Amino acid sequence: MSDIGNEIQNMGFEESMKVLEGLVKKLESGSLDLDESLKVYEDAVAIREHCRKILDESERKVQTIMETAMGEKREDFSVQD
Amino acid sequence: MSERISVTELNSRVKDLFGRTPGLSDIWVVGEISNYKLYSSGHSYFVIKDATSEIRAVMFRSAMGRIDFRPGDSMKVEAYGHLDLYVERGSYQFIVESMRRSGTGDLYLQYEALKKKLEAEGLFSSERKRRLPVYPRTIGVVTSRTGAVIHDIITTTGRLFPVDILLAPAQVQGEGAAASIVKGIELLNRVGVDVIIVGRGGGSLEDLWAFNEEPVVRAIVASKVPVISSVGHETDFTLADFAADVRAPTPTGAAQLAVRDKAEIYRQLNDMDLRLNKALTSVLERMRYRFEALDSKLSPRKALEMVEMQGYRLDELTSRAAMCVREKVSRMHTRFASVEKRPEPALKAEILRMKSVCGTMFGRVDPAMAKVIERVKASEGRISARLDALSPYSVLDRGYSFVTDTDGNAVTSVKGLEAGSVVTIRMRDGKAETKVVNKEEFE
Repeated sequence: MSDIGNEIQNMGFEESMKVLEGLVKKLESGSLDLDESLKVYEDAVAIREHCRKILDESERKVQTIMETAMGEKREDFSVQD
Repeated sequence: MSERISVTELNSRVKDLFGRTPGLSDIWVVGEISNYKLYSSGHSYFVIKDATSEIRAVMFRSAMGRIDFRPGDSMKVEAYGHLDLYVERGSYQFIVESMRRSGTGDLYLQYEALKKKLEAEGLFSSERKRRLPVYPRTIGVVTSRTGAVIHDIITTTGRLFPVDILLAPAQVQGEGAAASIVKGIELLNRVGVDVIIVGRGGGSLEDLWAFNEEPVVRAIVASKVPVISSVGHETDFTLADFAADVRAPTPTGAAQLAVRDKAEIYRQLNDMDLRLNKALTSVLERMRYRFEALDSKLSPRKALEMVEMQGYRLDELTSRAAMCVREKVSRMHTRFASVEKRPEPALKAEILRMKSVCGTMFGRVDPAMAKVIERVKASEGRISARLDALSPYSVLDRGYSFVTDTDGNAVTSVKGLEAGSVVTIRMRDGKAETKVVNKEEFE
């Protein structure tokens, strides 16, 4: 994986989508040589996979948070239908 | 002597009495609404009652337009108007010209005053409004832990984009509600969420009151995180709604504002995928084109063409060289001729040498010349054959003849001829001199 690989893991979804859009536009501009194009493509594919992974994660946390004498306390929460 | 009058007259007199009696008009009647009915005409009919008594009341459409709440059963109100009699039925009713919710008069005044004050401070201005994040990871919610609001938000985001939800349970009505809501907003700001939804379900003005209190409005304004408000029903506007970055008409609407539809994001990703592949393909195409342009210059066929081109240049140079030689030879010829006229012994040998040089040179030039002459002859033959085919005499062989005048010019028209003119007719094997007898011109 390219050097952008480690950075990607720390990127949020919004940032990732922005970077991805930027890379696609860069590649579409046609101003890059072959090596640069391949590198941009590779980075874009890595970010796209990262975005997909975030989207595919269906685990969600629903919690309540309250301030107590002991500090903030979180508890899982679910609504009864 | 007692009067004898009709029922109508009696009722009319009572109606008139009502109108003239002070204390039956320009009054506020305090009570509770029951049997409330709104007709499609826009007029509403209801009963105003207290613990021991009741009176029928009418509110016409024009008056309905003047109040800013929807009356309903068991609502405590103060109704302003006058007493009137309905002559046809002999029944009296209270005509409501205006109405306010009792006990809330003060609240309304407070609401208006605070709204004016905060508006003047610029807290509700549209320049203050922040943009909501496009892809929040965690949504903070400040509302009651029971009730429809949190339920609707969890199910709606679950359907669209199941982000994490952090609920700061708050008391949303009654004593201490405002402080509880403020604490929730501050807590969620501290722990870090991407957007906050503040709200509660519908209710009376008193029920919603916490969302009209100054600390709540200021907490929303101070929030670093964008705030979506969802308080009460679509028609209720609280000061919290004015302060929020976005107001949602319902909790479901708030959830829809907070997250995007995941399916749509997948579509967007797929679209980028397509664009990415298309762009790379076109880069590769361009590279291949450039490579092919270079490669073709290196191909054997190209190399052969280049050799042929060199051969052509060689021929050209050779023929120019031959011409030079010929010129030189002819110049030598001249010199030789003049030299030969006055032969000197020293020159004899030179002359002989030159003769032999000339001999070899002519030997080389002559065959080339012969070839040229032959080619010219051959083409001459072809040209005269074509000229023959065009000759008028060859047409005579096919049975045509032609006419000339006495000067030998071809005659192609009867114009200029007349009876007695002499013309010559030329045929395949001879000619005949002829006199014109008669002429006729075709139309």
